Amino acid sequence: MVPSTVRTNLKTALTSISGLRVMDYVADSTNVPTNNAFAVVGQLSMNYDFTLSRGFDQATCNIIVMVGRMSEKDGQSRLDGLLSSSGSTSIKAAIEADKTLSGAVQTLRVVSASPGTITSANIDYLSYQYSVELIG
Amino acid sequence: MAIFMGNKVTVIAGSTTISDHVSTVSLNREVEAVTITAMNDTVQNMIGGVEVSSVSLEVFNDFAASSVNSIFEDAIGSKLAIKLIPVTGTVTATNPSYSMSCLITQWTPISGSTDGAATASVTLPVTAITKSTSA
Repeated sequence: MVPSTVRTNLKTALTSISGLRVMDYVADSTNVPTNNAFAVVGQLSMNYDFTLSRGFDQATCNIIVMVGRMSEKDGQSRLDGLLSSSGSTSIKAAIEADKTLSGAVQTLRVVSASPGTITSANIDYLSYQYSVELIG
Repeated sequence: MAIFMGNKVTVIAGSTTISDHVSTVSLNREVEAVTITAMNDTVQNMIGGVEVSSVSLEVFNDFAASSVNSIFEDAIGSKLAIKLIPVTGTVTATNPSYSMSCLITQWTPISGSTDGAATASVTLPVTAITKSTSA
């Protein structure tokens, strides 16, 4: 498993969601779009030696998704669409559409999504943190 | 050789190296204890009988052609050659190989759960075994 390839391919998978701006690195600063969503593919947490003889490793990647505060309701509605387990705006469906990430891993699963807030430039943004488990 | 980690075992099933689909492997060598206690013995007496070894594998299943599922499922009811090397690399006196013939008595082609990769856990009886320090 090559971490940079995994992050790049996760970004590619997420860009299938219309209007979602995606970064495959943790930026020093962000420019959250006011009327849409923004995702950051985070660093991988790696557990080596998932199988014998340096076969495969297991990793967890956190993806943070935040929405601009166009209004309280619109922001939450946008997150609801991303949180859905299926549909064209679903983060889980977009990532799991190709469970090998174009051959970068053996398999993956979007395990969980936890709500929270992200503060940037003294503005609180509604967000979700997704946890993706990868084997490869 | 010194103490070594158990994470680099080579597992060869048939002629295919399947180490990258195996999470745990163990070879248990054991012989039957045959009782020969006689009338005038004051404690039980035994001699070694035939070997009843077994090999246990925890395998991540894969239905790809020539991968683990076809190797084991196609061999159910027959014997399959399995070779283990403690540390991947050259077989030596301090890194001996164990070549065995195993009767495939069980296989689990489907083992699903909501939170993990599909695995098959098998324990296979060994019907012949050879320890080698050179191959």
